Amino acid sequence: RWLASSSLFPLSCIHTSTSLQKFGKWEKKNWVVYPPQLPGEPRRPAEIYHCRREIKYSKDKMWYLAKLIKGMSIDQALAQLEFSDKKGAKVIKEVLLEAQEMAVRNHNVEFKSNLHIAESMTGRGRYVKRIRYHGKGMFGIMKIVRCHYFVKLVEGPPPPPEPPRTGFDQAKEYVQQLRSRTLVNTL
Amino acid sequence: ALVVVFSPLPRLRGLLQRCWGRLERGLLPGFSGGQSPPWGPALAVQAPAFLPEPVRDTTESNEAPSLLDSILWMAAPKKRRTIEVNRCRRRNPNKLIKLKRNIDVCPECGNLKQKHVLCGYCYAKVKAETRLIRMEIHKKEGGPFNAPTVETVILYDGEKPTEKHEGKRIIERARKRPSWFVQN
Repeated sequence: RWLASSSLFPLSCIHTSTSLQKFGKWEKKNWVVYPPQLPGEPRRPAEIYHCRREIKYSKDKMWYLAKLIKGMSIDQALAQLEFSDKKGAKVIKEVLLEAQEMAVRNHNVEFKSNLHIAESMTGRGRYVKRIRYHGKGMFGIMKIVRCHYFVKLVEGPPPPPEPPRTGFDQAKEYVQQLRSRTLVNTL
Repeated sequence: ALVVVFSPLPRLRGLLQRCWGRLERGLLPGFSGGQSPPWGPALAVQAPAFLPEPVRDTTESNEAPSLLDSILWMAAPKKRRTIEVNRCRRRNPNKLIKLKRNIDVCPECGNLKQKHVLCGYCYAKVKAETRLIRMEIHKKEGGPFNAPTVETVILYDGEKPTEKHEGKRIIERARKRPSWFVQN
């Protein structure tokens, strides 16, 4: 009886696969599979790529938050974002929590605190133009601005911040540059 | 006498023409600038759209226009600010968000809190319980302006009013006493 129904309506039993959305480059980075590591190699730290698209916020304003978080451990980043007054802070906090959850579930990360933020970037989303009405019949065109936010979490403690370049370092490099000069087009 | 109809400044006219052309081509073809003058909306103009003295003699136009030099002439940027200059201004350390060093862990619930602020989770907890107590009070009073002149005592499950709560109003709450609400 089941076979008869499929012959009567041949299209009803076909399962069509529908894709949810168009996957961008950042989402595809999570699908990279490395060959198994040889016994002598040092352990490759897990990398988790996550993003959120079309956030209703400006990319320039979001950039300040992304710059704040860059290079911090995930706990410190969540603490800073929780007490920030910006609108984007709430969104980024959600993204980080989602990424942490993904890391523990899918990417074989042992401790959820053992992650740090390697990269955090913003990108411009799709802008829409609208009319802003002024007085006396005047109008202006305003842009409804949206942005994307990308984050890459890497397992392990955050790298130590590099010491700022002092004058002494600059002088040393200059002297080194002078010393490494050679004579060109000669023997 | 020569009557000049529009603004003698070619730069202003060109800018307005370009703005108007872009608008007409783009958004709403049916929507015009309203009762604005036909050469475009007054967006970011450094001088008014029409000059106070459009009538000018040919002899006067040779010398520097003295009336235009007056208070009507606004400050305007001379050159476009390059992206390098813009970046220097936007990424200056005083514009970056400062790191907060006053975040601690709440000893009661373990959430994060700022040092000089009450813990958000604990405050929400207390707020919810207070709301329920106030609902009980409202049920007992039954309307506005019925607040008694005596003190109020809140008793939870299994607590009896003692001689300490002699002349006070008793509010019953049908749950166990929360650990943070200490009975005196």
